[in-house]
Amino acid sequence: MEKTIVSISTPLGKGAISIVRMSGEKALEIASQLFSSKSLDYSNIEPRKMYLGKFELAPNIYERCLMVCFKAPYSYTGEDIVEFQIHGGIIITQKILEKCIEKGALLAEPGEFSKRAFINGKMSLDEAESIIEIIDSESESELKASLSLASGSLFKQVEEMQKHLTEVLAKIEVTLDYPEEDVDEAVRSDICSEIEQVKSRIEKILRDSESSKYIKNGINVSIVGKTNVGKSSLLNALLNENRAIVTNIEGTTRDSIEASFYYKGIKINLIDTAGIRDAIDEVEKIGIEKSKQSLKNADITLFVLDGSQKMTENDRKIKDLIEGKTYISVINKCDMERKLEKQENEIEISALSQKNIDELKEKIFNLVIKEEINFNNLIVTNQRQLGELKNALRVIEEIEQAKDQMLEIVTMLIKKLWQTLGKITGNTENEDIIDLIFSKFCLGK
Amino acid sequence: MEKYDAVVVGAGHAGCEAALALARTGQKTLLLTLSLDAVAFLACNPSIGGTAKGHLVCEVDALGGEMGVNTDKTLIQIRMLNSGKGPAVQSLRAQADKVAYHTEMKKTLENTPNLYLKQGEVCDIEDNGEEKIVKTVVGDEFSCRAIVFATGVYLNSDIVIGPYVENVGPNGFKNAKYLSDCLKKLEIKLLRFKTGTPARVNGRSIDYSQLQEQKGEENIQTFSFLTKKKPKNVSSCYLTYTNENTHKIIRDNLYRNPTISGEIKGIGPRYCPSIETKIVRFADKDKHQLFLEPEALSTNEVYIQGFSTSMPTDVQKDMIHSVKGLENAEIMRDSYAIEYDCIDPVQLLPTLGLKGRKGLYFAGQINGTSGYEEAAAQGIIAGINASLYLRNEEELILTRSDAYIGVLIDDIVTKGTNEPYRMMTSRAEYRLTLRQDNADMRLTEIGRKVGLVDDKRYKVFKNKLKKLEQAKSLLDIKLKLDDTLVELFEENNESVPRISISVREALKRVNIDLFKINKKYSIYSEKEYPYDIINELNIMTKFEGYLKIQQEEIARAKKNEEIEIPEDFQYTGLKGLRAETIQKLQEIKPLNIGQASRISGVSPADIAVLSVLIKRFKEQNKN
Repeated sequence: MEKTIVSISTPLGKGAISIVRMSGEKALEIASQLFSSKSLDYSNIEPRKMYLGKFELAPNIYERCLMVCFKAPYSYTGEDIVEFQIHGGIIITQKILEKCIEKGALLAEPGEFSKRAFINGKMSLDEAESIIEIIDSESESELKASLSLASGSLFKQVEEMQKHLTEVLAKIEVTLDYPEEDVDEAVRSDICSEIEQVKSRIEKILRDSESSKYIKNGINVSIVGKTNVGKSSLLNALLNENRAIVTNIEGTTRDSIEASFYYKGIKINLIDTAGIRDAIDEVEKIGIEKSKQSLKNADITLFVLDGSQKMTENDRKIKDLIEGKTYISVINKCDMERKLEKQENEIEISALSQKNIDELKEKIFNLVIKEEINFNNLIVTNQRQLGELKNALRVIEEIEQAKDQMLEIVTMLIKKLWQTLGKITGNTENEDIIDLIFSKFCLGK
Repeated sequence: MEKYDAVVVGAGHAGCEAALALARTGQKTLLLTLSLDAVAFLACNPSIGGTAKGHLVCEVDALGGEMGVNTDKTLIQIRMLNSGKGPAVQSLRAQADKVAYHTEMKKTLENTPNLYLKQGEVCDIEDNGEEKIVKTVVGDEFSCRAIVFATGVYLNSDIVIGPYVENVGPNGFKNAKYLSDCLKKLEIKLLRFKTGTPARVNGRSIDYSQLQEQKGEENIQTFSFLTKKKPKNVSSCYLTYTNENTHKIIRDNLYRNPTISGEIKGIGPRYCPSIETKIVRFADKDKHQLFLEPEALSTNEVYIQGFSTSMPTDVQKDMIHSVKGLENAEIMRDSYAIEYDCIDPVQLLPTLGLKGRKGLYFAGQINGTSGYEEAAAQGIIAGINASLYLRNEEELILTRSDAYIGVLIDDIVTKGTNEPYRMMTSRAEYRLTLRQDNADMRLTEIGRKVGLVDDKRYKVFKNKLKKLEQAKSLLDIKLKLDDTLVELFEENNESVPRISISVREALKRVNIDLFKINKKYSIYSEKEYPYDIINELNIMTKFEGYLKIQQEEIARAKKNEEIEIPEDFQYTGLKGLRAETIQKLQEIKPLNIGQASRISGVSPADIAVLSVLIKRFKEQNKN
């Protein structure tokens, strides 16, 4: 049984569509647990046909996406292939990848799809060289990623966790292999607390790297509000403060990003604000539809209201739109007398006189990045590393479930954890544990 | 010139198994030994088994070997180590009667048809391809088609006691003076390893009154699946310790020690250090434990486990006398270190055949391993494969998921070793699957297929399988929710189930096992279902889930073992592989992708590239 593999096969963060691809015997079985469509009956699935349906990210939380399958041997790899085409951006794409892994797929090794294609006779022999190049370059880039992190510190941290686990393993193994020597028995509660520590370290890394997507891509902020409420002045106020670093990145990552500025080292993208700045009159045309679009891509929404007026019908319409989203009520024109009712999560500003603009930025920052980001903290940018860390957490769950089992089962799982982390550091030599047994304990006749 | 099918050189634990495997599968076999008085000689511990080693013995037995039978026949004490831990790490350990062990094994060899036991030292080997000629120092010449080398630590060995160094074998026996050169002539690379053995003292001079006695256990599993009558425990071991004074004596005399002063250059095993090494490396330990083991019923000699040294004899005497219980001990044999030649095992195939030549096999300490059990394990495989070679049949390779024997051989031929290799359970990745109790279920069919398992053993095995099936069907019996059930769960600190529960379900509880259930419910009568059946069923059911996961892992790993690397596949000049990877692959010449992936330093990316290249090679050669 060849394992079923999965990976994101489009470059991360670039392009509007991303593709998650699975290959192997279990591809369809895994897909059937995750993706459903009215027109789709898995026992009778039609290859090479696009199915529009929903992918279950969490109980009752779905993402619409497209799915297509290819049946062995009529596919790129010669095995069953399932592809998901996703519009939802990096985070959704990663979630979909994770779900596939959770259901039993394994992260593909560098160049593994091409390798399988070749092994299964889907490519001509002349293509061997190019496949080898793909494997080499992909593993090279992974190596570079982990080396660059080595100086950063993920590598070191994982290595240190591994070292810790090696000690735990040596401690247990020595009592299993040398029951007659007078070495102290491994204490279960000690083992548990060691595992607990590894767990919280991995969780911390993952948390930091969750924040890191904001570091990498910035926070997407949309500005909504009725006409003349001061959206464009607000936009200018946010940008003017930082004239020098206004960037126009049109056409590079997201068409919809109008402008960005940095706050505390984090890039804040103002999205889907096209037209606001130059032609206030245009706003009417943009209308509700545009606002909807803008909201979809936003991490946070600024709901701009005029403090000198009571809520109007238009305000309410917009408020209904953002119901359930993360938003800040920005009460503009605070220099004038307040007539507006108290709003949820509000901040009073004056876009024209730049009052409280910094406070607003701080609020945006705090809402999205819940914990203080230490920029020296670890950032996991590499797909595989992220995947292995999550795998490691799953193994820890297994360990926790088996904690009362026989020691050899506990060690079996700890070894699995150690090997999972070893895929990040490249060190999976069992000999390390045996070396430590002999260097740490005095054994033998 | 006398003609044989095979010649086995050396009648230690590897040589005996190899010769028996050959003879029992119909090959006319000559077993040459330096001394008939040293056949199956227990040169160090008077003990067989121990962690992972017990597993090896059971596996040798399951394949149709002799070590288990001979141990059960001659043991004077038996225990199950790790009995408080899980079934996978439980290991049998026996004190064998050193004299009886030798005598019984020799008798078995003598009585085996096709087997010719003869004293003689080999001085030359001629390998003419199909025919090989073995010459001895007295001028005898034997023609054969296969040779198994099982020379133990006798190759050009030196014994060291303080300043005294002599070119002799263990225990002062004659050593093999010419074989090292014979092997060099065959272009085999040699290594030089070192080990040692402690002093033997006269039991009448030991004061046991203050020492802790260690008795054997009755009614436990035996080494051999054939043994019907449980062996009796007739001897005890005793535990004592070194002390500050002992350590001071050693420290004061370190300068007189040849290992420390650098006179001995061989590489010693880390798990079998001399006492002086322990004192130097673990300076903070204020005592080290010593086991006193009886050597045989027919002698007073006692082996001091943990006290191996190459100190001069006057220091040895002071050291021993400083230990509680040994104050007046009379030393009968001095402790010594021994240096010897062995081959670099990466020159072997996983069949234990020499790469690049046909019909030459190596087994035991000559391959850089240590221990009687490791030797026997290789001996039986070398014997089976020499026999298969002679019969023109496909040779046997045990994998890492088949047996500890597979792990052992794969380790040494794939990774090599830089010290005498000892088996440990932590070396096995499928530890839960590789247990003593199921060695027969893993290996007896294989032994049958190669012709080594006779009808008697096969019948015993088939009977066990049948009994096990019957016993299994009773697992679905429902245990009613009544006082007995409540008692069973409460006694074992398990929460009481709310409804009736099947035996199978009850077994999933950590603290409940089939023995405990059976004690209360008598589902399995003792007569109908002996201990082994209940034990087996208990383990199989209790760990069902984990065993299944392991089976899946094994199936996945097998995929790589199935992709063979053609013998004529050329590594030189391959694109996409690093120079050091190519060099390693060239040296080891792995048989398949699985073995290649276990060579140290070979990365997953290397393996991906390699599998692409092999695919291309195979396709191109098809046309």
